[in-house]
Amino acid sequence: MRRLRYIVLILSLVLACFVLSGCGNEEAKTENKDSLTFSWSKDIGDLNPHLYGTNQMFAQAMVYEPLVKYGENGKIEPCLAESWQISPDGREYTFKLRHGVKFSDGTDFNAKAVKMNFDAVLANKDRHAWLELINQIADTQAIDDYTFKITFKNAYYPALQELALIRPLRFLAAAGFPDNGNTAEAIKKPIGTGPWVLSEYKKDQYAVFVRNEHYWGNKPKLEKVTVKVIPDSEATVLALEKGEIDLIYGSGLISLDAFKQIKDAGEYEAQLSAPGSTRVLAINSNKGPTKDLKVRQALEYGVDKEAIVAGIFYDTEDKADTLFAPNFPYCNLNLKPYQYNLNKAGELLTEAGWNLPAGKEYREKDGQILELDLCFTSTDTTQKALAELLQGEYKKIGIKVKIIGEEEQAFYDRQKNGNFHLIFNETWGVPYDPHSFISSMRQPSHADYQAQLGLSMKKEIDKKIGEVLISNDEKARQQLYSYILGTLHEQAVYLPISHTKNIAVYNKKLANVKFLPSSYEIPLELMEIK
Amino acid sequence: MTRYILKRVIGLIPILFGVSLLTFTLINLVPGDPVQVYLRIAEMLPTPELVAKVRAEMGLDKPIHLRYFDWLTQVIQLDFGKSYISKKPVWDEIIYYFPATIQLTLMAMVLILFISLPVGIFSALYKDSIFDQISRVLSFLGASMPSYWLGILLIYLFSMQLNLLPTQGHGTVLHLILPALTLALGHSSTYTRLLRTSILENLNQYHVLYARARGLRERLVVSRHILKNSLIPIITAFGMSFGHMVAGSVIVESVFSWPGIGRYCVASIFSRDYPVIQAYVLIMAVVFILCNLLVDIVYHLLDPKMMEEL
Repeated sequence: MRRLRYIVLILSLVLACFVLSGCGNEEAKTENKDSLTFSWSKDIGDLNPHLYGTNQMFAQAMVYEPLVKYGENGKIEPCLAESWQISPDGREYTFKLRHGVKFSDGTDFNAKAVKMNFDAVLANKDRHAWLELINQIADTQAIDDYTFKITFKNAYYPALQELALIRPLRFLAAAGFPDNGNTAEAIKKPIGTGPWVLSEYKKDQYAVFVRNEHYWGNKPKLEKVTVKVIPDSEATVLALEKGEIDLIYGSGLISLDAFKQIKDAGEYEAQLSAPGSTRVLAINSNKGPTKDLKVRQALEYGVDKEAIVAGIFYDTEDKADTLFAPNFPYCNLNLKPYQYNLNKAGELLTEAGWNLPAGKEYREKDGQILELDLCFTSTDTTQKALAELLQGEYKKIGIKVKIIGEEEQAFYDRQKNGNFHLIFNETWGVPYDPHSFISSMRQPSHADYQAQLGLSMKKEIDKKIGEVLISNDEKARQQLYSYILGTLHEQAVYLPISHTKNIAVYNKKLANVKFLPSSYEIPLELMEIK
Repeated sequence: MTRYILKRVIGLIPILFGVSLLTFTLINLVPGDPVQVYLRIAEMLPTPELVAKVRAEMGLDKPIHLRYFDWLTQVIQLDFGKSYISKKPVWDEIIYYFPATIQLTLMAMVLILFISLPVGIFSALYKDSIFDQISRVLSFLGASMPSYWLGILLIYLFSMQLNLLPTQGHGTVLHLILPALTLALGHSSTYTRLLRTSILENLNQYHVLYARARGLRERLVVSRHILKNSLIPIITAFGMSFGHMVAGSVIVESVFSWPGIGRYCVASIFSRDYPVIQAYVLIMAVVFILCNLLVDIVYHLLDPKMMEEL
């Protein structure tokens, strides 16, 4: 009798497990020729076109489209707007919208829809304050069904580039708006004009997108795309090898040595994109020893970037000499790179008064040891490896580097308060660099602002940044950029390390896996299965 | 019995009150302002006006004792507030993630029973045999192996080499086996050793000797007289383990992409999502206390002497 009781107990536990697992929707396992499964480390978010944060950009870009697109070499191409005219003073932009475009719910895309979305975004201006475009908009107007006009306060030159961004200015259908119209709180349903439509979604598990049958452009070759949430990078690689996913696309999803292994093994295709953003260290010109230009320059000369690229990045990233790669607009300035030179670095430190007392490891001045804080996010393994390597490198020239790894918020608090000598930072890549990035250098909450604060010409730099964004003359604009980027380079407030790249690792049955100029989008609509 | 249970359930209230007060104070002491974290995650520029506005929206502009009082009044009505980050009701989110973790833990408990009971009993009865030696080595290995590595090894063996199970995901019973096994193996090692020691202690008791003297069959001696007494310390630990597994499954959840509450809670800690953290801690406290209660009830069922005390 008693034994029966235990058996019943165990059986009921087992039963409970099965019942509970029945609750989870069974994933449709399709070995369909027209479907693709890939992984992402986070949940795709709410697919709200007007918000950031938990919304993943690639997913927003699958569902929503902009007025204009950012094409090869920064060329602006038509998308939902077929053509546009800019008034001679550069303040009025008139867009002719594409005819025959429908949202995925079958309703028409027209100037009214554009106006509705602009109004929703502008109603929450403070949310978008980082984006100069929003601050510059004076008025918007739907002239007729297919004509839309934006009036700017000034001749803001990156207007088209910023209209091409994934957020916040893409278009949600009227049926997706919440009742109170405030999309900053929530949306009802993600309905866009893009090539994909969300069909099934389990938060933190998977999302299924199907082809948008109303799509105006070249319809995707695949019928269905499933995004699986796999937070762990090793598990991601195993899932690919098991055939549970067909594609890994992006940056930071798998470790670089795993990438190299897969590439060398040759069983899967492995590709690298063109260089995107730049990994840099911001050097604080407003704190301690790094106030001195000579110390900052010594830091620039004291790093063997080639060794870093080979040793830490397995040659999957390119060495960086300047804040922005020369192929970015207005960035080809022939700046003289700081070549690795330990002697020169040592001389500069000596000139700055930091001498190496006999028999000691670190340089001193007035009895003070030359000690610098290098701050990184503790969960970021790449930053950690770089920090440890730099600590060893700088020891060679007599600098004691204290590496401080903290959780994200503490790290960003340091960026904001300027509480660092050296801190990791990254530019934003295409299509934000250089204009959006330099625009943000004027914000006190950014590490850039804090690092530049000790420069005697910081006011001048900020002024020129303001000018360059509304300069209407190509030559003047180039001159302003030359001044801004040249000064920052000479003043050694950035230590560029490498240019990041997107990776794509995929099953050989997949064809047409390409990279777009913007590193935040995944061109799934081009992909097909052989 | 019913009165006893009722008494214990009422006893929950002051404990939960204490837990909530402690959590509330502690998370407010953690550095990192939730307003700043929110603004960073939402990619908004932290201008002083915006910071003040968001702080008011979150209700963080009030003094801490008032905030606690407000929160308490809400919680009594089973309203855990809204998440700072997702802006959705905390209760809905917890209900979404909780079943997956419970399911994982229950399965792990079953596996622990299936592994540690037979292994523990045999290791004790055949002390110092080859079987005992092997189980000792495996127990030490199992207990000291980090679950992250163990998980990856299991995936490698069962999914990649033997091609039996999926590497990750949630949905079918097949998806459940590997994460539950990962969670179970470490605990099983402890129980195997614990049970073995407990049985060995009981083996030398007089009642066992007398039972044998009475000429009872060995199987009866083991099951009625040794095992039952040996199980008592195990059950205590088992009850606590349940709580530990529910609260500590985050690593397993992330290796196997399991949509459980552990991942959700850790993410909330990093984003200083106070309402979520508070609700989570409170619910975990309830889980621990209920497990404890369950253990006590099982105790009483096993040991009639204790039954009389009620």
